[in-house]
Amino acid sequence: MFDNYLIRSDSLRNDIVDGEVVGFSMAVRIANYRGVFLSLHTGYYLVVDGVDYPREVQTFEVNGQPPRGFDEIKGCVWEHWDYDDEAILHVAKPGGLALGAHVIQFQQCVIAAYGYLSTDEEWVKAPPKTGTGAGSDKTPQVITYHLELNEGVEA
Amino acid sequence: MKLGVSLYSYQQSHFFKELTLEDQIREVGENLPGADGIEIVDEMSLRYPDPGEDFVRQWHGWMERYGTVPVTMDVALDVLQFRDHVMSTEEAVERLERDIRLAKRLGFANVRVLSACPFDVMAGALPLAENLDIRLGKEIHQPMRLEGQQVSEIIEHIERTGTKHMGIVPDFGIFGFRPSEVLLAQYERRGAKAEASAASVDLSALLRSGSAPFDLSDIINHTAGNLRVAFKQFINDGTCVPEMKAVFSVLKAFAEERVPRPGELDYIVVAEAIMQSNTSLETMRDLAKHVISCHGKFNYMSEIPGRPGQYQDIAIDYKGAIGALVKGGFDGYINSEYEGQRYFQDRTRAEMMDEVDQVRRHHEMLRRLTGVGIPAEAQ
Repeated sequence: MFDNYLIRSDSLRNDIVDGEVVGFSMAVRIANYRGVFLSLHTGYYLVVDGVDYPREVQTFEVNGQPPRGFDEIKGCVWEHWDYDDEAILHVAKPGGLALGAHVIQFQQCVIAAYGYLSTDEEWVKAPPKTGTGAGSDKTPQVITYHLELNEGVEA
Repeated sequence: MKLGVSLYSYQQSHFFKELTLEDQIREVGENLPGADGIEIVDEMSLRYPDPGEDFVRQWHGWMERYGTVPVTMDVALDVLQFRDHVMSTEEAVERLERDIRLAKRLGFANVRVLSACPFDVMAGALPLAENLDIRLGKEIHQPMRLEGQQVSEIIEHIERTGTKHMGIVPDFGIFGFRPSEVLLAQYERRGAKAEASAASVDLSALLRSGSAPFDLSDIINHTAGNLRVAFKQFINDGTCVPEMKAVFSVLKAFAEERVPRPGELDYIVVAEAIMQSNTSLETMRDLAKHVISCHGKFNYMSEIPGRPGQYQDIAIDYKGAIGALVKGGFDGYINSEYEGQRYFQDRTRAEMMDEVDQVRRHHEMLRRLTGVGIPAEAQ
């Protein structure tokens, strides 16, 4: 769903902390027709210009809270990511990305479900590997975005 | 019969912030003659799980201002919410109970649970539903049928206990008899062959006439999404749960007969034929008294050739379904549930569908088939 609109096209930025570029970020929406309890959101398959950025270097900024890692998000079992709300996906990468054009391959993993599934126990042990389409039921394919990075912002 | 709209129909306009929730309610109240019913998906339309008292006041104000009625609230069941364990039946009941209380605050008469919601979860929340006078309806969604345990266990419970607060919410997708043309077109844009679409339509016709090379009764209790995932795995590595094996093997052979050098996507397109429920209109008539409300599912309203201003979904038997409900004495709501916008969302916004126009077309058809909203002298 919303294949080309899950990342806001003008949102790619470098993140700057105390004058130092610590990574990059983009604004994202949920790939579903509804929101979900935040705990169900397990991270992204994210390849930028051929480089894979796994969920371990990703943090997620939503609901007015500072960016949180997906280990912490896992514990947000009563907090909701509402359908209306844009969130910011941050990626730790010292030096950030170069100004100009980037190719981003993107898939969101949210283990929302229609009731009980055969994968439930397995996904309690570990969420599905990002990029496989498992746990991404409404937009199971990896989407390629061509985005421009124009400026950095103080995070 | 009464008419309404599930605001699910406006999910894309909502996502792009082209229509606010109030805009959607106003559209139903002011632009759809004879319609006043509002259905929502709680996690789509609301700040969830608590939209706040200010919102609740505003909501009731909108209902009054636009002359609309809260009919059914649709709720989900994400069983991995707690992440460190799969939600127990008791926890699932608690979630449903919270949703029932939320529905009551917003004035809804009914709560719809998903087709995959276990009966024990419904039964567990029933005492609260009875207490608050909220009716619980299980969605019957393709490829499920009205025939089968998922419906019969509800009917048996109603007959045994006499409860007036449990029933079913048929999704008109169960009266579909072929894959929608817009679904097939999207598959072709993604690289599926035209022969695969043709094979899928032909196989659907064989299944409808009862002359297909296999029997679907083993797989009808699985959701369409789960069947698609399972068939994809079968195509890739030959594995699947035993009950699916017979159907999947014949399906694969059928695709290979009809499609030159089929790729993974071609197999999946042919498999869309088994997502049709082929449920019986007689059963619908017999069960009409247990219907809480209906999802008027549709994927694409096209103009009927030679009849300007009149519309149809070429893949769903609306005439048959509405006729069966009328014969069975159903006098509740049919709420439009437009889903076909999804099949254009691989494209740019400018090439996507106009949900408002599609729902207006759907209501032209609903008024024509039910007589609701048409002045007596025009009938």
